[in-house]
Amino acid sequence: MTFDPVPYAASALAGPLLLTLAAFAVLLLPLFFKTLRGTQGLVSLGAVLVTLVFFRAAPPAQLAFFSGALNLSPLSAYLWAFAMGVLALFIALSLARPAAPAEHEGEYYFLASMATIGLMVMMAAGDLFTAFIALELLSLPVYALAGIRRSKPGLEAAYKYFMLGAFGSGMTVLGIAVLNALYPSLDFVSLKAALPAQPLALAGFLLVISGFAFKTALVPFHMWVPDAYEGAPTQVSAFMGAAVKAGGVVLLWRLFSLFDGGPVREIFWWLTVVTAVFANLAALAQNGLKRLLAYSSIAHAGYIAVAFFGGTRGWEAVLYYLPVYAMATIGAFGVTLILERDEKGPKIDDLAGLGRTRPWLAAAMAAFMFSLAGVPPLAGFFAKFYAFAGAVASGYTSLVVIAVLMSAVSIYYYLRVTVVMYMKVPANGEDHPAGAPGLAEAVVFLMAAGVLLAGLFSRPLLALAAEAARWF
Amino acid sequence: MELLINPLSLTVLLPAIAGLGIFAIPRDSAAALKGYALAASLAVFAVSLRLWTGFDAAAAVMQFGLDKPWLPSYGIHYALGIDGISLLMILLTTFLVPLSVLASFNYIKESQRAYYACLLFLEAGMVGVFAALDLFVFYLFWEAMLIPMYFLIGIWGGPRRVYAALKFFIYTMAGSVLMLAAILWVVAAHHAAAGAWTFSIPALYAGALTEQAQFWLFAAFALAFAVKVPLFPFHTWLPDAHVEAPTAGSVILAGVLLKMGVYGYLRLAVPLFPQAAVTFAPWLAGLGVVGIIYGSLVAWSQRDMKKMVAYSSVAHLGTVMLGAMAFEPAAVSGAVLQMVNHGLSTGALFLLVGVLYERRHTRLIEDYGGLAKVMPGFAAVFMIVTLSSVGLPGLNGFIGEALVLFGSFRVYPWLASAAVAGVILSAVYMLGMYQQVVFGPLRHTENKILKDLDLREWLYLAPLLVFIVLIGVWPNPFLRRVLPAVDNYITLSRQQPAPPPALVKLALDGEEAR
Repeated sequence: MTFDPVPYAASALAGPLLLTLAAFAVLLLPLFFKTLRGTQGLVSLGAVLVTLVFFRAAPPAQLAFFSGALNLSPLSAYLWAFAMGVLALFIALSLARPAAPAEHEGEYYFLASMATIGLMVMMAAGDLFTAFIALELLSLPVYALAGIRRSKPGLEAAYKYFMLGAFGSGMTVLGIAVLNALYPSLDFVSLKAALPAQPLALAGFLLVISGFAFKTALVPFHMWVPDAYEGAPTQVSAFMGAAVKAGGVVLLWRLFSLFDGGPVREIFWWLTVVTAVFANLAALAQNGLKRLLAYSSIAHAGYIAVAFFGGTRGWEAVLYYLPVYAMATIGAFGVTLILERDEKGPKIDDLAGLGRTRPWLAAAMAAFMFSLAGVPPLAGFFAKFYAFAGAVASGYTSLVVIAVLMSAVSIYYYLRVTVVMYMKVPANGEDHPAGAPGLAEAVVFLMAAGVLLAGLFSRPLLALAAEAARWF
Repeated sequence: MELLINPLSLTVLLPAIAGLGIFAIPRDSAAALKGYALAASLAVFAVSLRLWTGFDAAAAVMQFGLDKPWLPSYGIHYALGIDGISLLMILLTTFLVPLSVLASFNYIKESQRAYYACLLFLEAGMVGVFAALDLFVFYLFWEAMLIPMYFLIGIWGGPRRVYAALKFFIYTMAGSVLMLAAILWVVAAHHAAAGAWTFSIPALYAGALTEQAQFWLFAAFALAFAVKVPLFPFHTWLPDAHVEAPTAGSVILAGVLLKMGVYGYLRLAVPLFPQAAVTFAPWLAGLGVVGIIYGSLVAWSQRDMKKMVAYSSVAHLGTVMLGAMAFEPAAVSGAVLQMVNHGLSTGALFLLVGVLYERRHTRLIEDYGGLAKVMPGFAAVFMIVTLSSVGLPGLNGFIGEALVLFGSFRVYPWLASAAVAGVILSAVYMLGMYQQVVFGPLRHTENKILKDLDLREWLYLAPLLVFIVLIGVWPNPFLRRVLPAVDNYITLSRQQPAPPPALVKLALDGEEAR
């Protein structure tokens, strides 16, 4: 190793530190300086953009910090950049359409920044304790964000999310306690070396896995998702879909890769199948756009889980899948946000006539739907292709067959959105007034460009993902 | 830059670029949009003519090859190349698209910019399917093409357009997702045997696969292609899609999209899995013959002209499948020629039905009659096209059908004899329709004032007529280019794959691998 770890560590850790400082600044300073009120969003966005300056090409090495609690490597750099990107988009959407009442703006951006820091720690966590603490740091702010409006749907969402999330956390803690009693150390490397284990350890692992499966929204741990996505402010739903899920995915993936076979893989196999089948069938019956996207997010958790089975190729595929999925989901929630008139968001039928009144917005939405459905040449197809390619090469053909059949089912509900936008007339003659294009539209079109180009030109992103996957 | 210098690659990319470029024109300047779309599609046709002139008819290799690494970690290349079969298909596509554009000038009144963009994107997808020499690229174009077609049917179609568009998309997509899984499997098996990732179609031909694996893989590919052809009983999407699509959509659906299914058998399913293909061939040929009889009978009972033409496509494509599955030079080259013929004559029939529909807004046979008196030009064109469709000697349909029937008789005597019945049936219903529409008294007063073909309509019908006659009297230039490719196909279908090495064990099921 020829590079000097100290400046690298300083620059890598400067990002989260700066974000923390900015988070406290937007929370506290406006309390004392009235003139700062209303600028919290801009300050947070600025902080995120400045942290991007601190990102520099990660050296090809893994550095362990805080006695192995945090592992910095190209992998964490990739995932952190992803987390920062999602946060920046979330702030941009919130600036365009404020989700929180004006007096709670400071808390709102504070909570979002804290959640992102939790996510980043979770992604780089080297042991189960750190991962759990990070999980709580990620979850608690998001519970609060879901209910920040204190309106009935928001509180309901927050309550459901919190109850089930707390249940999931409880299971994780219990599992960690069991494992802690059995193993000398809970960092992932020594856990991997210590396996195989006795039945009690298996129970511990299953508890931990169920806890993280809650966050990733694998069936049957998905019950909170539709209600939480529907009731939470749409910006927060986008954040949950893109960021919270990514954290769960990374952790599940670490747990999954501890096992080379045996009952845990078997259980993952079933979780994947049940998720893909159930989520896609349930999505067929949805009428609300946000609920549809919620079930779609569950289904995509299933496809990502298919990639777990693909070995090294699969890791690469997961890392490619996360940003591609996040772009389509944030974009689709952005469109929802632009069109929504009440908190539960528009029904699918409310999009009728959008193709005529706002053709570009409709075209962007269609791109998101086709990408989520996995139709080429959009990026979603490439993501699914990579995810499935690895699994087939590792011999899990039946899993892939089920997944592709279910993604054929998913075509129906994604197409329904395009049918309504382009081929139906609004029932009550209501039009979608084209407001002046603002930040929300900018986010939507940026995401649309992303899903259009990230597939056909997937080489750079795929190369980054491959480099990051090597450091897993 | 090579992507745009190679004429084949340019034929693929130019329509897509032109489709993007149309958005630079303001959406309400209709004349500019129409002119642009026509000019763009003619330019694509002009480029594709270079493929015809530069094509070496004697060579049996892929020509105009282009091979650019695209996604190297998976061994995916942007690889293109054509033989005689793909050459004819590409030219058929680039020939039909300008005619479809011209035929849409008056019919399409709403969102014209998006409409012509869809047509151009569709063209790029179709040419790409015929030009691809990489499985990934093939699949990409194969699926990507669904999006513009879906919008063409769903936005500019008839009254039941939403149902038809959804059915079209879901049917074809559901048929092809298993092909994706099969593609991944083939590539993974090749990787396991050869140690390298490749999606190159020629490299994957007759790979080391067990008989059981071939069986399932062929089944997955065959399903995707059978939906597209469409083979009986997978044809139910076709009447809906054809009837509800706007005229240009029907022309392209019948003229080109259906051919992609047969092309899939010729290029992929059979050469990739020859052993399984031999097992499946009699069944597929049999389904083709069932399609001939069934399609003809159903067409006979139709009152709507467009539906009748749609069902006649099922019958015609049955003939093509019979020829393609005979693995006999005459039959296969007849099938390829018949693909072109069907594109020309059915395309022309849809255009003619569109001509009537634009005037009277009905497609029911009984609403017409005696048109020969008011529309003599139309009646003459309709006559030639009808006769071409039923296979009158001297016109294009005869050559194709005769070659298929003679050739396949040696292989499947019973099936070929049954197919002859279909040919007779097609004469019955097509000529019956022609007689009811064109001859007889002018029963409906509205029909007395119908205008004959105008210049624009002559412009898009005349080129079709030229080729209908030309192929009928002088098929040699076309057959000559096809024959080497056909011989290749037959050789590939006969080859015995290398025995699978014992070490290569790819589990069919997750169970075994765990």
